[in-house]
Amino acid sequence: MTGLPASLEALASARQERPATLPEATEALRRAARDDARVLFLGGGTELTLGAPPAGVEVVLGTERLSRIVEHAPLDQIVTVEAGVRLGALQETLAASGQMLALDPPWAAQATLGGLVATNAFGPRRTRYGSIRDLIIGISIVRADGTEARGGGKVVKNVAGFDLPKLMVGSLGTLGLIATVTFRLHPRPESAGTVRFPDLDAEAVRRVVLALREGQLEPGAVAALVHEGGDDLGVRFDGRFELGVRFEGFEAGVRQQTTKLLDLATRQGWGAERLGADAARDFWARHDLAREAPAGFRAKLAAQPMELERVANAAMGSLFTALEHARAVSYPLLGLAFVSGEVRGPGQVVAAVNAAREALADGSVVLHGAPAEVRAGVDVWGPAPAALPLMRAVKERLDPERRLAPGRFVGGL
Amino acid sequence: MSAPSLVTPAPAPLPVPAPPGVIERLIAVVGEKNVIREPVQLRTYECDALTSFRASPSVVVLPASTEEVAAVVRIAVEAGMPVVPRGAGTGLSGGALPVKGCLLLGLSRMKRILEVNLDDGWIRVQPGVINLDVSKEIAAAGYYYAPDPSSQGVCTIGGNVAENSGGAHCLKYGFTVNHVRGVRMVTGAGEVVDIGGPVLDPPGYDLLGVVVGSEGTLGVVTEVVLRILRRPEATRTFLATFPSTTEAGNCVSEIIGTGIVPAAIEMMDRLAIQAAVAATGVDWPDVGAALLMDVDGCSAEAEHTAEVAVSIARRTGALEVRVPRNDDERMLMWKGRKSAFAAMGRLAPNYIVQDGVIPRKDIARVLAEIARRSRERGLQVANVFHAGDGNLHPLVLYDARVAGQEHAAEELAGEILRICIRYGGSITGEHGVGADKAPYMAEMFGEADLDTMARVRCAFDPATTFNPGKVFPTPRLCGDRPGPYRPHATELAGLADRG
Repeated sequence: MTGLPASLEALASARQERPATLPEATEALRRAARDDARVLFLGGGTELTLGAPPAGVEVVLGTERLSRIVEHAPLDQIVTVEAGVRLGALQETLAASGQMLALDPPWAAQATLGGLVATNAFGPRRTRYGSIRDLIIGISIVRADGTEARGGGKVVKNVAGFDLPKLMVGSLGTLGLIATVTFRLHPRPESAGTVRFPDLDAEAVRRVVLALREGQLEPGAVAALVHEGGDDLGVRFDGRFELGVRFEGFEAGVRQQTTKLLDLATRQGWGAERLGADAARDFWARHDLAREAPAGFRAKLAAQPMELERVANAAMGSLFTALEHARAVSYPLLGLAFVSGEVRGPGQVVAAVNAAREALADGSVVLHGAPAEVRAGVDVWGPAPAALPLMRAVKERLDPERRLAPGRFVGGL
Repeated sequence: MSAPSLVTPAPAPLPVPAPPGVIERLIAVVGEKNVIREPVQLRTYECDALTSFRASPSVVVLPASTEEVAAVVRIAVEAGMPVVPRGAGTGLSGGALPVKGCLLLGLSRMKRILEVNLDDGWIRVQPGVINLDVSKEIAAAGYYYAPDPSSQGVCTIGGNVAENSGGAHCLKYGFTVNHVRGVRMVTGAGEVVDIGGPVLDPPGYDLLGVVVGSEGTLGVVTEVVLRILRRPEATRTFLATFPSTTEAGNCVSEIIGTGIVPAAIEMMDRLAIQAAVAATGVDWPDVGAALLMDVDGCSAEAEHTAEVAVSIARRTGALEVRVPRNDDERMLMWKGRKSAFAAMGRLAPNYIVQDGVIPRKDIARVLAEIARRSRERGLQVANVFHAGDGNLHPLVLYDARVAGQEHAAEELAGEILRICIRYGGSITGEHGVGADKAPYMAEMFGEADLDTMARVRCAFDPATTFNPGKVFPTPRLCGDRPGPYRPHATELAGLADRG
């Protein structure tokens, strides 16, 4: 995604700051504080439409020049990067040491590590390795007043002080500038193998999930794709998924687990196949496309894993009916899914979002992108969380003048 | 920090009485027998497992429900009494140490398992539930709760949440914070709030990440939703002995460097091995160092990684590699490791245990430096620790009856923490800062770092009611909100409110 979405065009006229060092970033925020200016942090711009459009931004602080890999200690399996380092470039560097950051969100070539932390982005590997909060071990931030502060450290195990790194995960630039981040790393798997289930309904996907657990299988990535909807409004979601289960690690383990899953599938009549290298690449490329394809509307659905049928019928179904070119990806072990598409009738999409929220009352439906007409009808974040007063108090303590991306976050924070 | 001592510590000063009327109000909430105020009974609560610090609470209250906790907290706040939460009192950093005039909130009666959902992979428990009892509850179904502090047979989930407890197997599986999905907590305003829950990625700040490991300074957790895991198909264990910790440290680095993620790698030096042998009767030889390692996963993966790890151990200078022939032998090996702390009493009357962390690659160098300082001071230091993640547990042995030894031991323990800081590590990997290591926070973090953490604390607990004097090196008051509040356009338009 390049260029600013229509709702953010006003940003182009804001003052642009592009610090190349941490002291420069600190100075830029002090300057903004002196000018009483409202600031938006900009990384790779891949999730700019997440949240409400921030109000009255006067300074855009881009992190693209904060692009140093500060320290990679292969023996300690940690890396410290400046916020503007792009994930794709980082992975290339790490690969030379046989390591990786176990994070595979969309738009990896473009997305910056600071932005990924701020948006809590993830991909299919989360199934095995957890999300950014499970990988981040240290952070340095610059507060709205220009104060630089650190939390965590560069050792994997550390309980000294409050876990500021986790507080910053998903905070969307509303608590401070993420300046540098330290992550724990993992060895790159020696081999990988994908088993594909071409055609399952939600109930069958749910049973595969249980069978994986029951069989003590430990997949590295699991994703269920939904076939692309047609061009006309009103194409119904048929409730069927194409499921991919990838095993990673040492070859002996991959082979054993792949075989075990295929045996299980045969016994249950689930019609699974072991994919060759090309076919596996193709499946995961289609997964990536479903996450990355340009779309005016994106939503993230969260529910308990066993609620997949309800997610499919009530949430995905209604959204597919309202969208054109709808696509969806579900991570069935996590209970998380993404739906995207183009909006023709905003009223129908608003109704579909409301229906999805009603169906997933214990979960959430967050809009990562939506045209203004849809935003006018629903809060992109959904109902206020029970802990909103505490969140507001945290915001007030760290950014009392509300100058960092004001209004973008949950509850107007 | 000290072991059960031969020298009886001086009793704490007599408790400060609670302000007038408070006791009656507390009794009205939790009942007469759950309000402990006799000085003799209060002595039970003078310290946690760090017995060298002692103080008496004004009153101990044992609530049985979230509502009772909230009512008790409101009474304490109105009376201006600090509140110190306490689980099983197994903490090693003085996190549950009473502060003068405090109301000590014991969560031991809240020990019910409330809800189990195997299919979605979680369990909801009260904070007084014992760590191991969570795994026992779901063991028959083949599930377990991963974090396994050595005290897991007695320590509580509430205490684990407060301390972000680790354990031997967190190398692969992560710490308490990676396994807590949600909490219900009582805030400094005496309000009950739910943070997170069974469903992932609730919108908003990751307050859960801050609450876990906050050492009782942000509020009192009254319910916890924990992630539970299916047991791995296979676990392979082996014990490798080495001439010294240098070879053992190199072995750890090589194993990790090969791309293996072991479930646990524990190191013991000569003194720790001797203590384990004396305490449990394991037939380990008198050698310079030993590694105890678990690998797990599907059986083919576990076999493969065990083979590779054993061959690395041999190549890096192992004297001997022992593989347990059955589960009993495996359990005995782990018993030897887990009883090493308690066994120190056989080597010296007193000890101080530290919990510093260093980058894994520096293990051999740091151990050599600790050994040098220990020789200089004429004090023995035993090492038994989580080598895979560089989390040292140096035990400084001393005899408090010998004039000056206790002081020298404290100084040596402090020097060890400073070495950890100098190598870019941490002053604590799993025991917490508590009262014990609060002074060292200012050496690990700068003033701006501490100020930022204190601001977060003030957001939760502006009156600093909860566990004052812990974690932070100097007392901090919150004061008013730091600056004017600007209403946002959506608020003015009535689309959002400030709640």
